[in-house]
Amino acid sequence: MKLALRHGFVLAVCAFALFPIVFVVSAAINPRGTLASTELLPTGASLANFANLFGSDTYPFARWFFNSVFIALVSSFASLLLSMLAAYAFSRMRFAGRRAGLLALLLIQMFPQFLAIVTIFMIFTEVTELYPAFGFNTVWGLLLLYLGGALGVNTWLMKGFLDTVPKELDEAATVDGATHAQIFWRVIMPLVTPILAVTALLAFIGTMSEFLMANVFLRDPGSKTLAVGMYGMIAGDHRNANFGMFAAGTLLTAIPTVGVFLWLQKYIVSGLTAGAVKG
Amino acid sequence: MRKRALGVAALATLAFAATACGGGAEPAAPAASGTSAPASAAAGGGTLVIWADPSRVQPLKPFADAFGKENGVTVEVKEISKDNQTTFLTASQQGSGPDIMIGAHDWIGNLVQNGAIDPVTLTEEQKAAFSAKAMQAVTFDGQVYGAPYAMENIALIRNTELAPDAPATIEDMIAKGKELKKAGKVKEVLCLPVGQKGDAFHVYPIFASAGGALFGATATGDPDPKKVLLGAPDSVKAFEKLKDLGEKGDGALRTSITNENYIVNFAGGKCAYLVSGPWAMADVKKAGLSYDISAVPSFKDGKPATPFVGVQTFFVASKGKSKALAQEFVANYVTNVDVAMALYKADPRPPALTAALQQVQAEDPDAAKFMDAGKDGTPMPAIPEMAAIWEPFGIAENAAVKGGDPAEAAAAAQKAIDGALKNN
Amino acid sequence: MAVDVREAARAESTPPARPRREITTAFVVSRIAVLAVTAAILLYAVPPLAAAGSWAALTLLCAAAAAVAFLYLTRRFVPAKYLVPGTIFLLAFQVFPVVYTATTAFTNFGDGHRGTKAEAVTAIETGSVRQAPGSPEYALTPALRGDELVFLLVDPKTKQVSLGDPAGLTPLAGAELGLTGKVVSAPGLTVLKGPEAAARAQDISAFAVPTPGGLIKANGLSRAVEGRAALAYDASCDCVRGPDGTWTADEEQGYFVNARGEHLAQGWQVNVGLANFARALTDPTISGYFLGVLGWNVVFALASVLGTFALGMGVALALHHPRMRGTRFYRIALILPYAMPAFAMLLVWRDLFNRDFGLVNQLLGTHVDWLGEPGTARLGVILVNLWLGFPYMFLVTTGALQAIPRELTEAAAIDGATPWRAFRRVTLPLLLVALTPLLISSFAFNFNNFNAIALTTEGGPFPAASPQVGATDLLITYTFRLAFGAGGAQFGFAAAISVFIFAIVALISAVAFRRTRRQEEVYA
Repeated sequence: MKLALRHGFVLAVCAFALFPIVFVVSAAINPRGTLASTELLPTGASLANFANLFGSDTYPFARWFFNSVFIALVSSFASLLLSMLAAYAFSRMRFAGRRAGLLALLLIQMFPQFLAIVTIFMIFTEVTELYPAFGFNTVWGLLLLYLGGALGVNTWLMKGFLDTVPKELDEAATVDGATHAQIFWRVIMPLVTPILAVTALLAFIGTMSEFLMANVFLRDPGSKTLAVGMYGMIAGDHRNANFGMFAAGTLLTAIPTVGVFLWLQKYIVSGLTAGAVKG
Repeated sequence: MRKRALGVAALATLAFAATACGGGAEPAAPAASGTSAPASAAAGGGTLVIWADPSRVQPLKPFADAFGKENGVTVEVKEISKDNQTTFLTASQQGSGPDIMIGAHDWIGNLVQNGAIDPVTLTEEQKAAFSAKAMQAVTFDGQVYGAPYAMENIALIRNTELAPDAPATIEDMIAKGKELKKAGKVKEVLCLPVGQKGDAFHVYPIFASAGGALFGATATGDPDPKKVLLGAPDSVKAFEKLKDLGEKGDGALRTSITNENYIVNFAGGKCAYLVSGPWAMADVKKAGLSYDISAVPSFKDGKPATPFVGVQTFFVASKGKSKALAQEFVANYVTNVDVAMALYKADPRPPALTAALQQVQAEDPDAAKFMDAGKDGTPMPAIPEMAAIWEPFGIAENAAVKGGDPAEAAAAAQKAIDGALKNN
Repeated sequence: MAVDVREAARAESTPPARPRREITTAFVVSRIAVLAVTAAILLYAVPPLAAAGSWAALTLLCAAAAAVAFLYLTRRFVPAKYLVPGTIFLLAFQVFPVVYTATTAFTNFGDGHRGTKAEAVTAIETGSVRQAPGSPEYALTPALRGDELVFLLVDPKTKQVSLGDPAGLTPLAGAELGLTGKVVSAPGLTVLKGPEAAARAQDISAFAVPTPGGLIKANGLSRAVEGRAALAYDASCDCVRGPDGTWTADEEQGYFVNARGEHLAQGWQVNVGLANFARALTDPTISGYFLGVLGWNVVFALASVLGTFALGMGVALALHHPRMRGTRFYRIALILPYAMPAFAMLLVWRDLFNRDFGLVNQLLGTHVDWLGEPGTARLGVILVNLWLGFPYMFLVTTGALQAIPRELTEAAAIDGATPWRAFRRVTLPLLLVALTPLLISSFAFNFNNFNAIALTTEGGPFPAASPQVGATDLLITYTFRLAFGAGGAQFGFAAAISVFIFAIVALISAVAFRRTRRQEEVYA
């Protein structure tokens, strides 16, 4: 009975979550799909939009797909590492400026990015001249920029979780003569796998859909990410003509994310910590 | 002690290893750049970078390549899909902009005040080859600031199965539209985008026909930003007419008809009349309905329903790295009829070159009809102050369409614009 | 209280003294790795900087590298070892841009005032160059006299060939003309063919042949015209002179102004002190609406955070049951809204809300102008934000729930607590330890959630009486409109307003953050 209630509730939320997506699906498989003419249930079924997407000369969709996944994987891994290190320090150590640092980390994210773009241009114009490999139109430059935001929200997220890991664990390890680095790698990291997985997933999703900076950075059709490339599909005059393809692309964009989620799911729900607290 | 010694030793080893590494890599780097420079020089030297919006990147590619081959340079066409003008200005100022930018002629005022583009010197012959309206559009402050290549304006596209005859007046059109709606043949009287923020560009012909005006004129006949006329009595009357056509009146203008759905609705047979430009034709043709194109009609006894004419233009960036090439491309290459024709084939908008236009008119009646509909049109004002007009105008339009008080809406728009332009 | 259950409150303020440790292999290897990376970066970065002569940057780089090397070689400053890697990126790509941008609040940086005065002068002079009346449009052939670039100019009407060099124009005899009117060969000169000319494009565009009336300059690679600048800058009076009068530099406005108070189009960036801040405070269209916008902004951010948290946690809890089946399927369905590109879905939602054609009205059988009326538009954007954001909360709560030992909730159940009580007493407090920092940062994010508004309502609906501020405008979208909507981009002004907004958010966040201190100290 109670389980049925749970199922009922979750199903209702799923319906809320899925109905706009069903709309996008129906636009994607409708060969004449347009934003305004689409009904909730598909009025036609064809994979033409998907075929067009991969067969298009104008839109190197497969390339964008690869770029996005590559950038998202590298950037989420690197930012995970950076923010985990910082979160460990913020959670476990007491030092001057700790709380101020945390607050500053939050506030720095608050400044509107659309204003900072001018400065970003200034920096990367210089970088492009000195180190073309990290300049405009390069994946590496964009990655650098993304790492600038690595400490932001993720550090807060992980610090919160690290605070829930009992301090006795590292104290016991300290008594056993472990260094702070050993504690970090051998004691803390394994304990927080679920959080690492969640954060990795969030970072991955965040990078996949990041648009503002990528749009400034990537101008060669071949170097674009999905978000930038697909925005171009519906920008200006082609909004209606390309909407079916755009919808198909939107759906495909979700696939890597779901893939990463499936891969990480077992860590997210591993319940490792539950056992560890006892020991 | 041991620790420190170890650290120093490690550092020393590392420094050595790194230098060794660097020793190998170091000469390689200059060598690489050294070889790349002569290589490109052999190919002619230099690159020409063109920025375009997504609709124009593909059509341009072949000509860019051909130009590159002729002159032995590399031409890169890059796509900018959002905030093109601002991005161009920012990038240009920082020195990472393109050599050539493609945009609408109404950017000129802002580009000039930011020193972002150079004048383009065209010969008298070249100037004469363009339609007068196109030349007028790209001329700012007595100076030509770009090479026009395509013109576009809105017109009335009608479904000839539903409405066989071109309406002579707005009143006729509304009457026919309402009749069709009553008969259940269509769902909407007219497909003209309004949306929640209004759409000044599409409603302008109707607004102008009703006697409305945006700016007064200077002594030379240019729009005068010091004289904003949105709140003037004539404009208020025009807003009243928009209200009459709106949701509480004829129901021809509706906020639920937006930029996203107006073309689709027409293509889907939900309305008999569509007010749109050449960009709608792809969808209209795909829908396979029979259509005809005529000028947007004016009110009975009203002023002419003049649409805005937009001119797509090649600009030479003043901070480009290959200015001579850019000038060559803009002044001497895209002004060529063959190039204009080929551009038209790739992206069908009426060409600005008269000779090309005549060829096009012979082959494509639609283009001719659009041109005809825009023959009385005014080039969109290129003064930077125009930026202040769009949004308040749109919001006043939206308010009038929803049935709000036109006088109040017009006054508020006037006040907002005057405030932005510091006219008071 | 949860604390006793957790047994985490053991008051151990002083950690036990650290025993001396041996140097391990891991220690040596990690140090070498850090130093190797530093050295490699240094080696990569130094040569271009040295070549460009950026000595200040070079010094900074070396100092930073030395500091990093020192930090990882010493045993002290342990927290810094963990913080530095991320902080370097943060400083370079977030702190620096923000601080630099904030300083533009004291300038008139914006359209018309983007560059320096020198750039404005160049633009004014270049823009005023007109073709000298009656002068021919020369066909241009660039050529070399020895190594020196010269112009071969053909008057298309007379077919007269002239040689132009920095000394002036001289008639040239013996040149052979091609069909296009360009020079094919000339005695003693090497004619540059297309690609060869293109290779020297920069020299060609910089080349000028002086004439009595002005200068002959290349126009592209194949034509040249005699032009004359109508306006010229005169440093002695710091003014621009032209046939229509004199414009004097006004360093307060950043314009060249004439006696009638008119200015030339091209201006430059100047310092305006606190003028932008003063304008933000005194302009009635800003100060008059500010409180209203702020109020709605707070409501929007709170509703977004609490709504997404409640819904996300709700489903996470519902799925967190040992006998729950189909959780894998549910989880995927629930994260899908988050996996779809947000900007695309925001556009889709906007159309779903359309009164006459939207799916929402179709499904509900209503005829509501969702985004056209203030109340429903506000509800609409909160709903959209709920849809976009709850999967995030669902994920983090799911992760956090794993960290709560099941023994605790089971113990509570054995003690006879109702599920609701167990949740209130055990689960929720523990969840909040982990998630409070996140909720604060989520509040801060939503407070400034530009896209959620800009891509759906664009701030609207707007009352007819005040086109500047709409019902769903957040401070950030409102700022954006003020700064970029009318009158072109005004970066300086926007930066000033951003500083105000920044201060407000900082205040709210700091207060919220202070309240977490006690909680943190108790649990950590």
